[in-house]
Amino acid sequence: MKNLIVFFLFLFILTISRNAFAQVYKTEVGNVEFLSKASLNEFTGESAKLNGLIDLEKNVLDFFIDLNTLKTGIGLRDRHMRENYLETKKYPFAEFVGKIKEVVSLKPGESQNVTAVGKFKIHGVEREISVPGKLTALSVNEVKLDAQFKVLLSDYNIDIPKVVFYELAEEQTVTLSVNLKK
Amino acid sequence: MKFRFIALVLLLAQPAFAQLERKLASETQEVELIFHAPRHINLLTVEPLDKKTLHFAIMHTFGPLNGGIQNLYGLDNGANIQFSFEYALSDKFSLAASRSSRDKFYNLYGRYHLLTQTQDNKIPFSLSLMGGAGVNTSDYTFLQEANPNFTDRTSYAAQIMIARKFSDKISLQVSPMMAYFNDPNPIYLIDGDQNLYLALGLSGKYKITGKSSLTFQYIPNLNSDLRSNVGVGIDIEAGGHVFQMYFVTSQALNEQYLLASNNGRIGEEFRIGFNVNRVFATGRRKK
Repeated sequence: MKNLIVFFLFLFILTISRNAFAQVYKTEVGNVEFLSKASLNEFTGESAKLNGLIDLEKNVLDFFIDLNTLKTGIGLRDRHMRENYLETKKYPFAEFVGKIKEVVSLKPGESQNVTAVGKFKIHGVEREISVPGKLTALSVNEVKLDAQFKVLLSDYNIDIPKVVFYELAEEQTVTLSVNLKK
Repeated sequence: MKFRFIALVLLLAQPAFAQLERKLASETQEVELIFHAPRHINLLTVEPLDKKTLHFAIMHTFGPLNGGIQNLYGLDNGANIQFSFEYALSDKFSLAASRSSRDKFYNLYGRYHLLTQTQDNKIPFSLSLMGGAGVNTSDYTFLQEANPNFTDRTSYAAQIMIARKFSDKISLQVSPMMAYFNDPNPIYLIDGDQNLYLALGLSGKYKITGKSSLTFQYIPNLNSDLRSNVGVGIDIEAGGHVFQMYFVTSQALNEQYLLASNNGRIGEEFRIGFNVNRVFATGRRKK
């Protein structure tokens, strides 16, 4: 009996400790865009299905996206992108897991430049990258993250076509704009 | 002892960094790219277009190879060229217009995608319908008899396309086809003299690398004595374009003429054929 009380006490502590200190913000509808700027063709691909988590207490973040949700505006191009470039059947996700270098302390309305360092994984290849971004506290319960970084396709073993190479850029610019809520 | 236990629990109570669970945005997924493009050698495929996109294909077939180097393997004989534009009014339905130089033939047709194969095999194949009408606009004023009128120059085509991607490498399509000529006038560049032609289009794709496939087509005629059409080739996807190069036994490019034309013997009278496919987005994208 006494043990049971102790057990529930622990459970209680566990619960409040989570609620009181947690600084975890999440979303499943973040916006992400990539820009391919080749000499003869410029296009963007977009998705509003970026899943993300930022924990400001532990200074960690975790983002992933189902690459099947990326749309470039031309269906056949999307299908070719999925099947031949990103190979989404084998590697459905692009993900970033990392830490925020700075200590973040924000009051609602304030923003702060931050740098995230961590592992970016796409097409089955994982690389250490560093991403500069801006974190804005929209309210007590909501933060906004804007970030941009460049991805070299060859770094991730994504071939660009050798025959018509002017259509797809080797360097892709990825832009994130995400609102995360507690 | 008990305090140690409490300390341990408190330590564990520190919320551990929980990674998000990686889950796909949608459970059932359609099988994509059964073929590289809406065209496969000469036949249409089940490959759909997205709403408001335009597919442009330019197709050529040259003279027979057996002219040898003297005729540069048929390239000197002049090509039958077909331009086609297909516009998707919705993700399921598209309208197209094409023009082949052989008999200056204009064709209007539509494609409707009824079923799409899914990865979980709930729908094991894709099924699309095609129907169209065309008119021969060649000038026949040199004829002794009356110039064929519009109705006499009109012909129709219809087909059901059933395709399945069996594996990442192999896709097959079966297309029962028909063509109907109001007047199969011998002056037209067709070889049959029947009004109605029935055939079974068979298309195959075997992927050899990420962006290229070997292609195959065989169109056995079901109700005529014309030799059947055979084609073999290669599809190459090159960042935005799909190039299709092939050897085929007929110069015909549209459905009506494919079914009503005689074909060369395999091996002896192959011709070089070449298609370029490109898809364009029209209209502005919503930001």
